[in-house]
Amino acid sequence: MKKIISIFVLLISFTFTSNSYSKTEIHWWYGNSGFLGDVIIEIANRFNDSQDEYMVIPTGKGSYEDNMAATIAAFRAGDQPHYSQVYDAGAAIMVAQVKNGVVIGFEEMAEKYGISVDADNYIPGIKNFYADENGKMIGVPFNSSTCLMYANMDILNEVGIEEVPKTYEDFEAMAQKIADAGYIPLLQSHSPWIWTENFFSRHNLLMTDGNNGYDAVPTKTLFAETDAFVMHWSKVKEWYEKGWYGYKGRAWGDNQAPFTNGEAAFWFGSAASFGGMKGVLPNFTTNPILYWDSVTGGKEYPTFIGGAANWILNGHTEEEYKGLAKFIEFMGSPEMDLYYHNMTGYAAVTKGGIELAETINFYRTSPYHKAVGDQLGLEGSTIPGGYRAGNWPQIREVIYENVEPMLNGDMSVEKALGNMDKGSAKLLKQFAKTL
Amino acid sequence: MKKVQFTSKYSQYFFLAPQLLILLIFLYWPIVQTFRDAFTMQDAFGFGSQFAGFDNFLFIFSDPSYLTAFKFTLIYSFVITLITGSIGLLLAVQANGIMHGKNAYKTLLIWPYAIAPAVVGVMANYFFSERYGLLYSLFNNLWGFNWYEDVFDAYIYVIIAGSWKQISANFIFFLAGLQAIQKTVIEASIIDCKSNIRRFWTITFPLLMPTTFFLIIINITYAFFDTFGIIDTTTIGAPGSETKTLVYKAYIDGFRGLDLGSAGAQSIMMMLIVLIITIFQFRYIEGKIHYN
Repeated sequence: MKKIISIFVLLISFTFTSNSYSKTEIHWWYGNSGFLGDVIIEIANRFNDSQDEYMVIPTGKGSYEDNMAATIAAFRAGDQPHYSQVYDAGAAIMVAQVKNGVVIGFEEMAEKYGISVDADNYIPGIKNFYADENGKMIGVPFNSSTCLMYANMDILNEVGIEEVPKTYEDFEAMAQKIADAGYIPLLQSHSPWIWTENFFSRHNLLMTDGNNGYDAVPTKTLFAETDAFVMHWSKVKEWYEKGWYGYKGRAWGDNQAPFTNGEAAFWFGSAASFGGMKGVLPNFTTNPILYWDSVTGGKEYPTFIGGAANWILNGHTEEEYKGLAKFIEFMGSPEMDLYYHNMTGYAAVTKGGIELAETINFYRTSPYHKAVGDQLGLEGSTIPGGYRAGNWPQIREVIYENVEPMLNGDMSVEKALGNMDKGSAKLLKQFAKTL
Repeated sequence: MKKVQFTSKYSQYFFLAPQLLILLIFLYWPIVQTFRDAFTMQDAFGFGSQFAGFDNFLFIFSDPSYLTAFKFTLIYSFVITLITGSIGLLLAVQANGIMHGKNAYKTLLIWPYAIAPAVVGVMANYFFSERYGLLYSLFNNLWGFNWYEDVFDAYIYVIIAGSWKQISANFIFFLAGLQAIQKTVIEASIIDCKSNIRRFWTITFPLLMPTTFFLIIINITYAFFDTFGIIDTTTIGAPGSETKTLVYKAYIDGFRGLDLGSAGAQSIMMMLIVLIITIFQFRYIEGKIHYN
């Protein structure tokens, strides 16, 4: 009897799985978790349901850093996925790998396998961020965010503030009022990304030499020699001492938690952060990130793209790449772009997606989604829309390491920023040697 | 009795092969790779590999956060060894002396040993969280504890997290050591000396020396290598790089920063440190210990 049952079970499982054996498998690794990871799985499912030939298998590897390390390890072992999500700080490393035959650029792929989505269909700021020095798009834009300011409107109403601040000067004028009412005026979740990289972009300032690495391989960062940057961190330190700014360590979530729990008035996070707040925090808004009026003379500049792109990895069969091309096409369609924008809060990355959003009057019903497009769409910047600096994940670590001694008073602002420059210069030099 | 002997000259190699293979693949192969990484400069994907001489070593020694990690690892292993050793010994002596419920105490004290460091770290996280941490609010009320920015407070955090589980290991070995001491020696000493404390320091403790020596090595290697999971789930090396151990630093540079040259050089430095500690202990400490 046992035998019969097991044979029966085997037969059934064969009939169910044989379906997937006939399909060409495409592996997609990603570095998002929780809700954002679920959406990625959903995208793959929708693609798999839309046709019978190919099957995309998404695999979550943990964080962005984990996924990048896993992808590299897999490549070195000859076992790489077809498609992998690599974050902004790793973009320079990935673009540099085209010449080594690790990465296949989007445009090369499009030419060979006929992807109907054109590189020019992606919005220029995002396209350029993942392009090589000739402007050829290499990475395929995916989850593109930027840093935004979240404001708790209930707290502002309670202390009698009518307008959400636009500039740091505005913030300084109201911070004491908020602190007096027992709330933390300001928190932010990522010192290197929000208050370093995007400080420079928001104020139209160059962050490294070599035109942010777009004209020449950068040799140093310009932290200590940028007066506005020194001024900014001096102010931050002052706010920290006055209780206007609360520092909760390096963990993203620890800095976000007080805001989500209604204990802080403003929080700087990612455009894709509001998912966890909806339904918890009754009355909040997403706004462009603050800027120093005194630095830009009243002008606003766009911030860098954050988030990640998907990269096509070499070493697979033609048939599999054909499937991947179909998948890229699928993800680049206006409907999928808007779906992803709507679900996650990441920016719509294609012109088609933006047009579709306008046609259906999307932003009237979804107010949280608007700020990201507004901020990224600002014009007038004279600096490149990104930075091409290698070893950047380590440079972020150097930035973190110097922020804390600066806040606790072990180091002066000048000294800390000088240390960041010194550490970064060494890492940039190290990277230049491997090119 | 008939002597069992291999008939073929080679059959011993056949039986040795699985073990040797495991050693080769999981121990010697990575060591060779590490040496290769440490002396080359290469990009994350392993391209552009070129001989770099001692560049990677010069690089890590000019890195202030490496020196900080060095300092912290030394402090950390010293403090952990001291705390876990002394508390483990105290508990073992107490547990050995009681009459009733001995096994219950023993079991409860041994339990934490089974918990993985990363899980210990996550639990410590709850105790030291600003939002709902018991110890956080206790210490915060006492002296304004804030491990996000204060180095000393962060030390306390990782030391408590790192010691807790290791106390159990010390407890087990000390208890075993105590039970191995012959009853006759203890009984004879009771006749000669009435003071419990004096008897402990002059008779029991010297007899425990082999155990103590063994535990010192175990504790130092624990603090050096096994605390990785604890650091990664508690402070992640903050504030600054003040609570990064050498292993954690090598991991961050190698797997987060994708700089295998620097991580390789750091691994070789760790090998050297372990070598030095072991030689030092066997030459200078073991000579003074009597194994009966």
